[in-house]
Amino acid sequence: MRRSPKLRPNLWDGVVVLAVAALAVACAVGIWQGGGSQEALTAVISVDGTEVERIPLDQAGETRRTVEGGGYTLEICLTDTEVWVEHSDCPTQDCVHTGRISRSGQSIVCLPARVVVELEGGSTADDGLDAVIG
Amino acid sequence: MKLTTKQLTLCAVLTALALALSYLENLFPLSLAIPIPGIKLGLANIVTVFALYALGPAQAFLILLARCFLGAVFAGNMNALIFSLLGGVTAMVVMIVLSGSRCLSVYGVSVGGAAAHNCGQVAAAVLTLGNTAPLYYLPVLLGVSLLTGALTGLVSACLFRALAHTNLNTGLDQGGTHGA
Ligand SMILES: [Zn+2]
Repeated sequence: MRRSPKLRPNLWDGVVVLAVAALAVACAVGIWQGGGSQEALTAVISVDGTEVERIPLDQAGETRRTVEGGGYTLEICLTDTEVWVEHSDCPTQDCVHTGRISRSGQSIVCLPARVVVELEGGSTADDGLDAVIG
Repeated sequence: MKLTTKQLTLCAVLTALALALSYLENLFPLSLAIPIPGIKLGLANIVTVFALYALGPAQAFLILLARCFLGAVFAGNMNALIFSLLGGVTAMVVMIVLSGSRCLSVYGVSVGGAAAHNCGQVAAAVLTLGNTAPLYYLPVLLGVSLLTGALTGLVSACLFRALAHTNLNTGLDQGGTHGA
């Protein structure tokens, strides 16, 4: 061994754990509570970092969009409360497996097509933790 | 950097182990909670922690590079490369700094590395997509890193304890200080 590490956790390790936990809380406050717009729940579709369409869910009703990116085609379904990728010809199918999103801040990502569908506005993500965990 | 045969063999074995761990973490359905493709738990950081103490930063870095490139080739997925590289390198830099402090045990170093790994991966997602939407999942990923960091630390501590009874030490460092 070049250097023999300490193998038992001590108080200093606790400091690292607290620092990471504090960073998580700070990020949660900054990211989840920030941007409390009064806008209705809106699906924002971006391709390759560029926003292509904003769809207010309550006004659009049940609708679908076909989005192309990176040579792949995604079929996105929207209702007044949920958004999901119905079908995609991308190789990984992660976007389809993500399933339905319904809360502000959540997103569906297709890496091969570089497509992001993000939900914005609506009730600010006050229960963001449930949104992610539950 | 001059490698002895024993060091070279150990590097190869550790790279294989890191690849196996990268593959193993595909079995955890992290994507159920974090729907950003490309983001991994970071179990291969066990190898980074071990290599950092056993072989030093230079060889640990070589193992990391080999793992990231071979992993991307095997998966046939070059998108995965930037995630594993950015996550792995960020974790390694933070762990080099933290392990420089004599106060911290492998647990503290591992937790810091796991948190850095997830920050690096989110940065990779933001960069690849040109979109800040993945930031939404950063707080949860930092929370997850407390668990993966503790697990990484536990496995590393067990490894070091087990190896204290073997003669792996002798010859690795050509007369350096031994013991674990
Ligand atoms: Zn997809």
